[in-house]
Amino acid sequence: MATRHMAAGALALLLLATAGAATAQMATLQAIRTATRGPFLDPEAAFWQQAPAVTVAMLPQTITTPSDPTPAVSSLNVKAAHDGRWFAVLLEWADATRSDRIVVDQFGDQVAVEFPLVYEKDALPSPMMGNTGRRVEIWQWRAAFQADLARGRPVDTHDLYPNAHVDVYPDQVLQAIDTRPYMGAVGVDNLITRAGRSPVLEQVAEGWGTLTIEPEDQQADGKGVWRDGVWRVVLTHPMKGGDGDVRFVPGEETAAAFAVWDGGSGEVGPRKAWATWITVELAR
Amino acid sequence: MPKVFNWQIGREMDYLYEGKRPKRQFAMLLDTNKCIACQTCTVACKTTWTPGRGQEYMFWNNVETKPYGYYPLGWDVRILEKLGVQDVDGPVYEGKTLFESAPSGERILGYLPDDRDYAHPNVGEDDSRGDMPQGALLEMPHMQWMYYLPRICNHCTYPACLAACPRMSIYKREEDGIVLLDQTRCRGYRECVRACPYKKTFFNPVTRVSEKCVGCYPAIEQGRQTQCTITCIGKIRLQGFIGTPETARDDNPIDYIVHHAKIACPLYPQFGLEPNTYYIPPIHVPPRFLVQMFGAGVGDAIAGYRKAAEDEKLLGALLLFGATPMIVHRYEVQAGHSIGYDEKGAELVRVPLKEAIHVRAAFDEAYQAYRTNIT
Repeated sequence: MATRHMAAGALALLLLATAGAATAQMATLQAIRTATRGPFLDPEAAFWQQAPAVTVAMLPQTITTPSDPTPAVSSLNVKAAHDGRWFAVLLEWADATRSDRIVVDQFGDQVAVEFPLVYEKDALPSPMMGNTGRRVEIWQWRAAFQADLARGRPVDTHDLYPNAHVDVYPDQVLQAIDTRPYMGAVGVDNLITRAGRSPVLEQVAEGWGTLTIEPEDQQADGKGVWRDGVWRVVLTHPMKGGDGDVRFVPGEETAAAFAVWDGGSGEVGPRKAWATWITVELAR
Repeated sequence: MPKVFNWQIGREMDYLYEGKRPKRQFAMLLDTNKCIACQTCTVACKTTWTPGRGQEYMFWNNVETKPYGYYPLGWDVRILEKLGVQDVDGPVYEGKTLFESAPSGERILGYLPDDRDYAHPNVGEDDSRGDMPQGALLEMPHMQWMYYLPRICNHCTYPACLAACPRMSIYKREEDGIVLLDQTRCRGYRECVRACPYKKTFFNPVTRVSEKCVGCYPAIEQGRQTQCTITCIGKIRLQGFIGTPETARDDNPIDYIVHHAKIACPLYPQFGLEPNTYYIPPIHVPPRFLVQMFGAGVGDAIAGYRKAAEDEKLLGALLLFGATPMIVHRYEVQAGHSIGYDEKGAELVRVPLKEAIHVRAAFDEAYQAYRTNIT
């Protein structure tokens, strides 16, 4: 509980700091056009000061099981921008602890934004990861992936347990091709196992349990910075992706919905805070 | 929530999915009276399946000393405490299963172990329970006791891990009932680790997804028993397939032992998962403890085991333990031998019910020397 009180305090500070620029309580997010060129990989870039913020109330996920009736994060501070070629969303929230070490009883901080693959104002998908026939695209940033990139290589036992002693691993005595069966999900190229070139996973879904990473279409990028009890995470993507990819057009609008996980509170998968659609208007 | 029939608790119960049994069900018999905790099974499994990075403290097979050994720490007492006191005495279990005890917003009653709970896989080894005051004699059951409990995934008929996974990454194979975790689909939520009361799904922190015992399925597909079974030096295991009480065949050694002779019992049947490893309970352990661990049938199981020599068919089934690396689909006792057959009816093994006894005279006439009893 102490952690959550601290988080609430830090959040109040965050909201005060951004109140000047914010158009609070509005359900429409204005994506500004910036002269800065994408991809946008700096959540602390100066142009974000010009972007109006929307405070999104985060709700407990109690619709499906397993649920999270008391999620740690109660609101996200959201901004958006584009340069005509790259679109970006900046997400800020209070989190007293940075969680990026994952072992059986420790979970990583994460945040996700979703967009309808086809935007129809009167026929939006379910905000809960879409529904059959109404697909959503989900970009999910992971603190553990950010730590992988900072480390410069995938996590290994000695990163998690510095004093571990192991005699020998199969990959030290076998040829590389032989070791794949000994590498579990890494050996079958499960993209959840480690960061690729970015800390963001590009995924699609048509409802709970259908979330699917697109191995051939990982264009989403981003970066998260944790400082003084606040995560600032930018997620960016080309405005014109490939076929079957979400598109962003200057002067038009789309919708975005959100989810956030506080790893320190054991949040993972459906144990999360979520928020329904808001409108996103892209400046010309 | 659908209702399914669980024969181990003698009644219908709630389960997340509809009850559909596989064409046949992987099963294992383990005779706790013969296990010496040499851990050969553990090492065979470890070297076959979990020598990789992130699997250092992962044991799909382990042998723990009961009552004070646990892997992970306190796995059974912790979930028993959460489930609360239940009446387990009758043939029909009147208490609640873990599915029926699910808290609001959860699919099952469970808990996530701490990382450190896995750090001492052999904690409690050989620690025994009970007093042995000066001058006391051991009686049955023993007032001071311990025993070894070898454990693998139970490949449950109603797996909690499978029910708990929000991504449906865990599936039960139609062809043999083996429960597998799809390494391409898992996202490491650890709901299965939280849900499995036997704690036989594991999280790999290097691959960041969960892993579990695969029932040595490549061996099973070739008609071979699992690594932990065929390497067991004490011949305490028999692996094959089991039917339900309705479909049990008397010429299947596992069916005969579990359903006909009823000398082997499931592990914590009150949890409601219909686990498919069956234990011949230790005969020297106080019944109250055994009823909690192996269910109401444990008293009859011990009585039946003690009279096994009177039932030639039962003796024949017991002698197939460790007799062949292949899966015995059918057996018969004929002319003083227990004969095991494979799926196509070919003879796999022939074990004499009684071994021939050779007596050597104490005095060796040829060498004019006494034989001393050295080995």
